[in-house]
Amino acid sequence: MTAPLIESYTASLRRRLPATLAEEAAAGLQETYERHLADGSTQDAAARDAIAEFGQAPLVISEFTRQAPGRRAARLLLATGPAAGSCWAAALITSRAWTWPVPGAARLAFGTILLLTVLALLAAATSHSSYRRTRLSVLACPVILALDATTITAVAAFAPAPTWPLAAALTVSLARIAFTTRTMRRLTAS
Amino acid sequence: MRADAQALKGHLDTLLLACLENGPRHGYAVKDALRQRGGERFDLPTGTIYPALRRLEAAGLIRGTWTGQDGRRRRVYELTAAGRRRLAGDRASWADFAAAVTAMLEPTT
Repeated sequence: MTAPLIESYTASLRRRLPATLAEEAAAGLQETYERHLADGSTQDAAARDAIAEFGQAPLVISEFTRQAPGRRAARLLLATGPAAGSCWAAALITSRAWTWPVPGAARLAFGTILLLTVLALLAAATSHSSYRRTRLSVLACPVILALDATTITAVAAFAPAPTWPLAAALTVSLARIAFTTRTMRRLTAS
Repeated sequence: MRADAQALKGHLDTLLLACLENGPRHGYAVKDALRQRGGERFDLPTGTIYPALRRLEAAGLIRGTWTGQDGRRRRVYELTAAGRRRLAGDRASWADFAAAVTAMLEPTT
């Protein structure tokens, strides 16, 4: 029979972490608890000592969150933002992109989606105690792919002539598409 | 002297890899190895070992598989080739660093 303290701890892990992570940590806590029971402690004392040794649930959940693949991926994807943004800014300014026949609604939609994606990545990258929040980067990856693909398509359709800054920005976007695809595969597999 | 979790932070990865050097272990056994081989000097909440193992797995340094034993499911970890290379590199760096610090701390006459 398991002590109520241990049951409440493992329930907390199951609520806040993906099933496999919660299962592994709960098994470790259970073994720690059983070791204390085998040493002659009462159920309550064994539970208290096991939790003291294992670490309180918020600490363990926070460590899983801090080391979550989604949090790391969000940080890497955000780090590519300034480089890609600078390249595209230089390319679009030198190509006088504001003169291209792109509908205003499309520009607005693009900007809004870009902003929401950056906010989602920021939320994932700065999460300290919510593992679920780190999974926002899984949602952000296909959106980043779509934004890069849309930009490349828009340039192909509307740019009057190829320029070196456009070529550089396209290269950066293609590299980011490759990186984002690889990141998305890893995140969905984890 | 006991090393707390903060002091261990920069070395935990290498210590965990070293615990897996002689064969696969599950998380609880890694914790036991860390405690025994460290002579009870390492004082960290043992629940934090599990996220660290997952991070090492994501980095390709260890491989984890679920196994069933005594009616209980456990995730067992083993070093990958990259993990063995990393451990060898870390061990050599640490030996150089420790030798340099020891030399610096020798009393001068």
